[in-house]
Amino acid sequence: MVSETGRHENPTETNASRTWTRRDLIVRGGRTIAVAGLATGAAVYLHDPKGDAGLQPRAPIRLKDYFAKIKPDYPASAPRLSAAYGEPERIADLTHIRALVEAAVAGLDRDLGISRFISRGDVVLLKPNVGFDRDPRLGATTNPLVVQAVIQLCRRARAGRIIVADNPIESPGACFAKSGIAAAAKAEGATVMIYSSAHERAVEIRPGRPEPARNEALGTWPIFWTPLKEADKVIGLPVIKDHNLSSASMTMKNWYGLLSGRRNQFHQAIHDIISDLGYMMKPTLVIADGTRVMIRNGPTGGRLDDVQVGGITGRPTIVAAVDQVACDAWCYQNLLGRDPRDAKAPLQYIELAYAKFGQDPGRIVARHWQDYERQGLIAETKL
Amino acid sequence: MKITTVRIISQIVFMVLFLTFVFVTTFTCLDDAPALKFWVSKYLEIDPLIAIATGLATHALYQGLIWSLAILIPTLLLGRFFCNWICPFGILHQFVGWIFNRRSTPDRIASNRYRPMSQTKYYVLAAMLAAAAFGSLQIGLLDPICLLHRSLTVSVLPALNMPPVFVEIFGNPKMHQLGWVVGGIVLFLVGMNLVVPRFFCRTLCPLGALLGLVSRFSLWRIDRDPNKCTECGLCDRNCEGACDPGGKLRKSECFVCFNCIDSCPHGALRFAFLPARLGEVAWPDASRRRAILAAVGGVIFYPFTRLAGKTTRDFSSKAIRPPGSVEEQEFLARCLKCGQCIRVCPTNVLQPAMLETGLEGMWTPVMNFRMGFCQLNCTACGHVCPTGAIQRLTVERKQGLGEFASAGPIRLGTAHYDLGRCLPWSKNIPCVVCEEVCPTSPKAIHTEQRLMLVRDGKKMVVSATPVTVTISEYPPEGQSVGPRCVLTPNAYRGDPTARYYVQVFHRDGTSETHRIIANDVDTLMIGELDPAGGQLVAGSRLARIPERGDVAAIHIELKVPKIDAELCVGCGLCEHHCPVVGDRRPVYVTAEGETRSESQADDARNRSFRLVK
Repeated sequence: MVSETGRHENPTETNASRTWTRRDLIVRGGRTIAVAGLATGAAVYLHDPKGDAGLQPRAPIRLKDYFAKIKPDYPASAPRLSAAYGEPERIADLTHIRALVEAAVAGLDRDLGISRFISRGDVVLLKPNVGFDRDPRLGATTNPLVVQAVIQLCRRARAGRIIVADNPIESPGACFAKSGIAAAAKAEGATVMIYSSAHERAVEIRPGRPEPARNEALGTWPIFWTPLKEADKVIGLPVIKDHNLSSASMTMKNWYGLLSGRRNQFHQAIHDIISDLGYMMKPTLVIADGTRVMIRNGPTGGRLDDVQVGGITGRPTIVAAVDQVACDAWCYQNLLGRDPRDAKAPLQYIELAYAKFGQDPGRIVARHWQDYERQGLIAETKL
Repeated sequence: MKITTVRIISQIVFMVLFLTFVFVTTFTCLDDAPALKFWVSKYLEIDPLIAIATGLATHALYQGLIWSLAILIPTLLLGRFFCNWICPFGILHQFVGWIFNRRSTPDRIASNRYRPMSQTKYYVLAAMLAAAAFGSLQIGLLDPICLLHRSLTVSVLPALNMPPVFVEIFGNPKMHQLGWVVGGIVLFLVGMNLVVPRFFCRTLCPLGALLGLVSRFSLWRIDRDPNKCTECGLCDRNCEGACDPGGKLRKSECFVCFNCIDSCPHGALRFAFLPARLGEVAWPDASRRRAILAAVGGVIFYPFTRLAGKTTRDFSSKAIRPPGSVEEQEFLARCLKCGQCIRVCPTNVLQPAMLETGLEGMWTPVMNFRMGFCQLNCTACGHVCPTGAIQRLTVERKQGLGEFASAGPIRLGTAHYDLGRCLPWSKNIPCVVCEEVCPTSPKAIHTEQRLMLVRDGKKMVVSATPVTVTISEYPPEGQSVGPRCVLTPNAYRGDPTARYYVQVFHRDGTSETHRIIANDVDTLMIGELDPAGGQLVAGSRLARIPERGDVAAIHIELKVPKIDAELCVGCGLCEHHCPVVGDRRPVYVTAEGETRSESQADDARNRSFRLVK
């Protein structure tokens, strides 16, 4: 039956003379009780007597130690830092760059090479510096050939998924495209992961609030989390370059691209921040790109004459290291030609980094890279 | 196959193509497949209204707009087939009506009868073309292709991008100021289908009006055979255009959807190349006098809005146009407000304007540097602009490299400092992020080392050694002894980002400045002596020991940013990355100095403070 309003109605219910039956009472009453019960249950379940539900911070997450599997059996006699120098005229030749990267890594372990660091099936995160929308020849970003060579090397060690990730200063799509790193990753079947808020989590870098008096700056900070969560191993692939405010952007500064949030405040205590970045990350390995070294106008540069092949060495250089502090100090002196212990303008973040985690038993850190030189723990190869 | 089935296939194909083109209008897609640049604005280029209106406004047919003949000529043969075979907005309306507007047959027949309000679109067209003839291009407000492009770009796609699963794939959704207004308009127009089927197409669409006028000449039309027709009225049941196929066909309203042929139980209707047997209404129902009045309205619109002065003296310095944009008045004659540039922009800096560029400029692209910045190597916006409001630039032209070195870079505006808000300038906090991110080479933003007096930094010397100065607070007026200093130990030790100095003023008017390497509660240490030989082992030593009562001033050495207007291109990276994130940033870009207006001889139109060489 269709009523005037056009609704289909139960014919018995429109019957005015109808009387209640026991069945009606049970059904109707039962429905009322069920709805009331559900509402009460939901209210009790959701009841927030203190009024602060949902305002509690989430349980902090911490970064993995990507060096944990390497450290226990890293031989005391094995080099901590290894540099390979190539030929300037072959700087655009992938085969040559690959040979350089291989030689640098082999310098750390003659027998195993990359297999000391990467095991079969490992998800590997490569963190190049893709900070700017610049042609690779301008040295503002990691050389895409180096990225490609490292991917190939990881593949040879039978790595599983390889992720290339960074959170650039400029537009991510443009930076990955212009730097040639998107193409390099694509050519080798690696995944490029571009930052978005879906990848972000607040990570506890150190418990509690940072103490500025102890040159600490990072407590809990939003981090480009997904790639770090998925990775078993992390290889830092910084480009060595000049940096106006902090003197040089190298290995530790490169971790900046794993952070998000209000990074533009970092400049107010840049040395605290860079040493904190080193404190935060325990990478499996760092491979510094000294093929094209921006020696002035950093970190953006923009002119070819800001760039010198291999810095003061004049040869495209790749540095592989298990000690990121020594790697920075070495590159600062041997590629940029400046002294980290210069009395007038010391590279303060090196000292701070040593103070913060130099004694950490889970890491390999030298106070001065020259300590390694004295102990014969630096390998050098010329190709 | 039934002709209506063919039509539905055509609609699906054209809708999918349209959505695909909109979807791939991104920096990354166009970078991966540059051939797409030819296609992504094709729907705008085939739109004859865009061709005619920009032709009226600019006296030229920009590049791909010649493709509009591909729609115009078939319309001369077949009528408004575009509306029901190709137009994505028409397809959307029909689809929504099909799903949600279920009615009984008599209701449907009634809702598809011709209504006099269908005239409105002709008045809209008359007004907009009249305004265009004076150089104010407003068709984009209602042209269905522009409207749909804009709504998808500014509102719909970002909204669909919001669930975290899509954020993970496509990145964060873009944000647009007033996206809800643009989205609200399209929701209203689509919702109106439940009140009047194809409300927008029948009543408002200026493109439909134009095609309606053109279809007056069409050679084919729906023809009714009076011998077979029983005047049952079923032909109106699914009529999209409300064009009276059961009476005298209103040719200008017919969408050529062929539903009437499909609905006719008697086979009385066909699409025929004949003079109609029962005659036809070839000209729209619109009154010529009203159309003239509407055109007069469009003509008057021009001085009313233009004399607001927004294109000249009272220009908004916040209205910064994309790189390659033509001069403002020319820009308003070309910009369709379609939002293609906004869609392709990789940084989200491009935003639809509300009223900052005047009423005429509503929904035209302007830059908002809190949202993004102009990527130095990117010229994507010009490559998708269908009308040349934004010219196609090469990176060399944009940056003024190679053969363009003498012409210099394209400048969008110039950055300025509000020193009162800048951290190092006014708050003694080290910063210069702006200098770091400045992408020009050499950098337009440079830094200067300056000594800034710290708070209560003026002290009085109590005693001194060659490497230490013990101080007290400066005595109040008329007294010779100041209160004891209580400094925080090593507060002035500093670090390489911020060093502290003490400047000691001698009685004879000379002074000397030394870096502080440590301090305790009342003593500043500027050097360290070897206790044995008295040799300096760190820091420096005073040339002359100051006397009690001399002034000692404590300074912080900061890098303060400055701008070289000759090198600044107005990209806004500095403003975007500035850590003082309020809406009045200490470094901000204004349209002054933009290259596009430099050639304007008229003082009022020239937004440059530079002497043009």
